[in-house]
Amino acid sequence: MNAIVRLGPAELTLIEQLKNLGAHAEAERLTAAGLPTRRVESYHYTDLKALLRSVPELGTAGGAGAPHFDIPGTWRVAIVNGAIGSPIGAPHGVTAGTVSGSVLTERDDMLVRLNSALTQQSLSLEISGDIAEPLVIDRQFAGEAAHVATGAKIFVADGAKVTIVEVYSGSEAAHLGNHATYLAIGKGAEVTHITLNLMDKAATHFATNEYLISESARLRTLAIQAGGALSRTQLLPRYVGKGAYADITGLSLVGDGQHADITMDAQHAVPNTSSKPLFKSIARGRSKAVVQGRLVVARDAQKTDAKLMAQGLMLSDEAEILTKPELEIYADDVVCGHGSTCGRLDDDHLFYLMARGIDKITAETMLVRAFLAALVDPIENQSLKAALTGVIDGWLENA
Amino acid sequence: MAEYDIPTLKEEIEKETVEQVLALDVDKYKYGFETKLEVDRAPKGLSEDTIRFISAKKEEPEWMLEWRLEAYRRWLTMTEPTWAKVHYPRIDFQDMYYYAAPKGTNRPKSLDEVDPALLEMYEKLGVPLKERELLAGVEQPRVAVDAVIDSVSVATTFRAELNKMGIIFCSISEAIREYPDLVKQYLGTVVPVTDNYYATLNSAVFTDGSFCYVPKGVRCPMELSTYFRINEAKTGQFERTLLICDEGAYVSYLEGCTAPARAEHQLHAAVVELVALKDAEIKYSTVQNWFPGDKDGKGGVYNFVTKRGDCRGDNSKISWTQVETGSAITWKYPSCILRGDNSSGEFYSIAISNGYQQVDSGTKMIHLGKNTTSRIISKGIAAGFSDNTYRGQVSAHAKAKGARNFTQCDSLLIGDKCGAHTVPYIESRNASAVFEHEATTSKISDDQMFYAMQRGLSEEEAVALIVNGFVRDVLQHLPMEFMVETQKLISISLEGSVG
Repeated sequence: MNAIVRLGPAELTLIEQLKNLGAHAEAERLTAAGLPTRRVESYHYTDLKALLRSVPELGTAGGAGAPHFDIPGTWRVAIVNGAIGSPIGAPHGVTAGTVSGSVLTERDDMLVRLNSALTQQSLSLEISGDIAEPLVIDRQFAGEAAHVATGAKIFVADGAKVTIVEVYSGSEAAHLGNHATYLAIGKGAEVTHITLNLMDKAATHFATNEYLISESARLRTLAIQAGGALSRTQLLPRYVGKGAYADITGLSLVGDGQHADITMDAQHAVPNTSSKPLFKSIARGRSKAVVQGRLVVARDAQKTDAKLMAQGLMLSDEAEILTKPELEIYADDVVCGHGSTCGRLDDDHLFYLMARGIDKITAETMLVRAFLAALVDPIENQSLKAALTGVIDGWLENA
Repeated sequence: MAEYDIPTLKEEIEKETVEQVLALDVDKYKYGFETKLEVDRAPKGLSEDTIRFISAKKEEPEWMLEWRLEAYRRWLTMTEPTWAKVHYPRIDFQDMYYYAAPKGTNRPKSLDEVDPALLEMYEKLGVPLKERELLAGVEQPRVAVDAVIDSVSVATTFRAELNKMGIIFCSISEAIREYPDLVKQYLGTVVPVTDNYYATLNSAVFTDGSFCYVPKGVRCPMELSTYFRINEAKTGQFERTLLICDEGAYVSYLEGCTAPARAEHQLHAAVVELVALKDAEIKYSTVQNWFPGDKDGKGGVYNFVTKRGDCRGDNSKISWTQVETGSAITWKYPSCILRGDNSSGEFYSIAISNGYQQVDSGTKMIHLGKNTTSRIISKGIAAGFSDNTYRGQVSAHAKAKGARNFTQCDSLLIGDKCGAHTVPYIESRNASAVFEHEATTSKISDDQMFYAMQRGLSEEEAVALIVNGFVRDVLQHLPMEFMVETQKLISISLEGSVG
């Protein structure tokens, strides 16, 4: 295309910030291409050029605040406005430290590129053995509106078992966060990875989680998006060892004025791997929930068994649920599929409950909880499960 | 009971199936012959002069020429779409002919005046242009045919009989001259001139195509059919079809296409517009068998087609059925705009790709009216080195209360050098809309084979049964007249395994 790209204020600020950090190549690329529009297939429903109006100043280190989301019996490390707090008292088997630079594998994606160019220092965790208490990475924003890019690099050793919870929260300002997590899972390891976006209503939240899943490893993820005016969580699982298995799940809870996007791009690279991605969205008020899920099965990845499901529940006529599941299959001996449903609560179900004397609001809440049960029920740690249920209930009650 | 060695059997079936596909699509493209006809051509290349030439040849009124020129000027400002999963070298739009007409066949008064070589060619293609009389006591299916070769319509059969009922069925060039009001009222209202790159190009240079108008309350007594043939080398075919079904009317329309086997690529960029008014129903079936290129992927037709139906009135219905076996590249999304309340749209598709074919096809169901329903059944079969993509959009506008969609797209892979892809866009903008989408990709499973064979079926019968079952949902929506040809075409496993 020969068309000249017009740059908006958000792009101009980003270009300046990139230049100030010495990321000239990236600044040039952004100048030439601009932020992705709906013409870029992976941003079809989240047109960053139109949605991202302005970018705040790059954040500077601030003091650690109290956790917005506390789970009893966990170990916690805070990253405030990008500054990594001292990880003290790590449980046995967990080595915490920092690495310079960013953590994601290079990829032709604007958010990944920006994160890689802007992140100066990342948290590093090395985990071995069976860790009973969940590890919490608490990424916070403090004070005035800030633009912050962070990274976390996590290695889980062969045969280890761990639950990692990442929380994103902050003060009432129009923060912009662009976060990254790289999680490499060793052979036979078992990992539960929960991310929780609890940003304030004015904030913009971008997160990219890259997973490398080795032989016989098992991963369960749950990405909850409950905050922010504009959110996008990118999930990039790569199945690189035989018998690798993952339940990649996500939940978007959107209300008035919110736009939440969960985009998965899964690569099944070797034979005999399987996955069951499941994404749910609940939209009320004037809001937008986007789910894009792509399963790519390479030529060699015979016997892949992957089934993606996307379900949307609409609680208002002004809401939009936009779904784009994708299959890209190059191996012939596979069982792959996707399903998608979208609609409101079933009148018959409501009638059934109300005919038994349950009032309408209670009945609706019961049905919504039932809709979400498949995401929360599999989480083993009881206090974590209770805390997540609390977040969901809080959202439901604050209608 | 005989013991079956499942793995060996499977290999055998696979081999056989692959052979069948190869035999069918690539090596034995039986429509690949070329007929030597004297032709009248426009100078090579595209410019305003070319468009004036075409318009003059067609003896078109001034407004039509203006319409074309406006489209051309618009086209110059547009860029080729790149979102489809297809790859091909840039098309040189100056290196082709935009008008080629067999000499002396511009407007035959009756079939007797048509060049015998032409009639012979169509006979060879299995499209008889003779009007067959009904034999006493023998019920024969009758199909009215409009035959289009290169840039012009050469013959339309059964016109007189259809005329008695008020049905207009003729070439679009004739319609522009004889029914300008109808054409003016509907042309470009479903696919606007500015719709997309290829549709705009078509608007500028379209040469011929079919026009059909079915008046109020009339049920068209026979299948209407258009048969497209690209005969000349280096010629693009740009046909335009406009079909209007007035209130309460019904028509079933068939479309077939073939081209000679050539080493260079040929461009086919058609536009089809359907308008269904209140209570009307249109059934549109296509068997697309353009030359797919040879076994090394040389040559073949680029098939970039915009097909769209507008359910303009309440309770109207448009049903698309397509069997896509040809073309080097297919870029085609027959769509329905469900504007009228309670209107419904259907899309049934079988897309088979082999050799180095690339298919990116699907549909769009745009729900605008209340209680509109749509159903999509797509079956993709990929073999050889081909890529077969289903791309479909289902969207419900905020006012489309009670909209419903069901989509199922299944892909079958034969061999491990091909790819099968599914890209649905599901956009719900109102809570009362209910959308369901399902997609699967698989090959014939061992379990299915085992189950069928355990019950006494031979291996061939078992494969036939399973593959037949795979495409059945779509096959049964084809009109009888197309069944035989289609079954021959998709006998991907059916024919080979049944023997």
